[in-house]
Amino acid sequence: MADKTLLSPVERELVEQIETLLADPTHTHNPLRAPLAALFASSEAQRERLERLVRISDGYHLISRSQSLTLSEQYDRQLRRLDKLARISDRYQNSLRELSEALKDAALRDPLTGLGNRRFLMERIIEETERANRKGEPYALAILDVDHFKSINDRFGHEAGDTALNQITQAIQNGLRTYDLCGRWGGEEFLVILPETSLDSALQVAERIRRDIQALTIGIHNRSDVRITVSLGITLYQAGEPYSQTLDRADNALLQAKAAGRNRIESA
Amino acid sequence: MTALHIPASQSTPSVTSSWEQGLLTMRGDSYPENSFEFFGDVIAWIERYLKESSAPLRLELHLVYMNTSSVKAMMDIFDILEDAHRGGRQVSVDWFYDPRNERVLDLADEFREDCSFPFQIAADG
Repeated sequence: MADKTLLSPVERELVEQIETLLADPTHTHNPLRAPLAALFASSEAQRERLERLVRISDGYHLISRSQSLTLSEQYDRQLRRLDKLARISDRYQNSLRELSEALKDAALRDPLTGLGNRRFLMERIIEETERANRKGEPYALAILDVDHFKSINDRFGHEAGDTALNQITQAIQNGLRTYDLCGRWGGEEFLVILPETSLDSALQVAERIRRDIQALTIGIHNRSDVRITVSLGITLYQAGEPYSQTLDRADNALLQAKAAGRNRIESA
Repeated sequence: MTALHIPASQSTPSVTSSWEQGLLTMRGDSYPENSFEFFGDVIAWIERYLKESSAPLRLELHLVYMNTSSVKAMMDIFDILEDAHRGGRQVSVDWFYDPRNERVLDLADEFREDCSFPFQIAADG
């Protein structure tokens, strides 16, 4: 028998009325009873089938609905994971980039004086050489070497030597014009590049630096008489020549300044 | 096979394990060419431990750099631990970072975000 709960009150009343009539023995011989009983049975069977169909169909609907909910939850979850992955990955990438910048800086900078190192200077000389040839304006190159530096280290220790190098660095930078460049070429050797500068102007700058350094009082505790001097070799870039020749010339000028008694400037 | 020991390489961290102690340790940088292969073994060990043993599991991590696929693998591992934890298992992670690299602290914190099991972040020392 099909479920009656899904019927409307009118339908249910009708079904119950027919059931009552069919069950009543006084109608046993009514000629309409047999066809009514058959019709009623067939109608009930149809109703039952219809209900089953609806139940099954609802079931499928429920399954597909819950599947789509699961899928959308999974999708949201994956999105959140992807977000998180990107965030973490970006952080790693940022720290790598900072590290590589720090390494680049370390590779080009002298840690004691904070000046550019020899590698940095080489890059700049190459650039300046190209520029000088392009514009036809030579640059001046000066190599500065501290006189008797070894004896400072020997007499007062390496810390005093480091202090002297830092004070010399300061003096050179004070003496330079804004567009001049200075770096630490070697132990107690500094290199100065003066772009688009005549030899006369370069000599003036060099002389100012030489005098300033000579006037320095090196800050060594308990001493106020420690003086220091420097020798410089200066040259002008000659159009078309490889920069190594310019460097050699400046080096030779420096040697001459040393040979002539130090604390002086020679040009070549 | 209950022992998992992988020596560190240029691009992969060292992995040591102790089934008896329920401890898996990873140490170093992680940017393997094939993260799935490398972490596959690690994940297999963890899944097997969680299946065959009922004792607690602890991960000790000393990881510095990780590429993106390693980060993903690590997130998968934490998901496995999270599921086990929700299922009533005792699991924990101890993440050690180099105090000279404080950024890793933030990274570990980001990893920890969705984990409800004990997840400690401490300076290596």
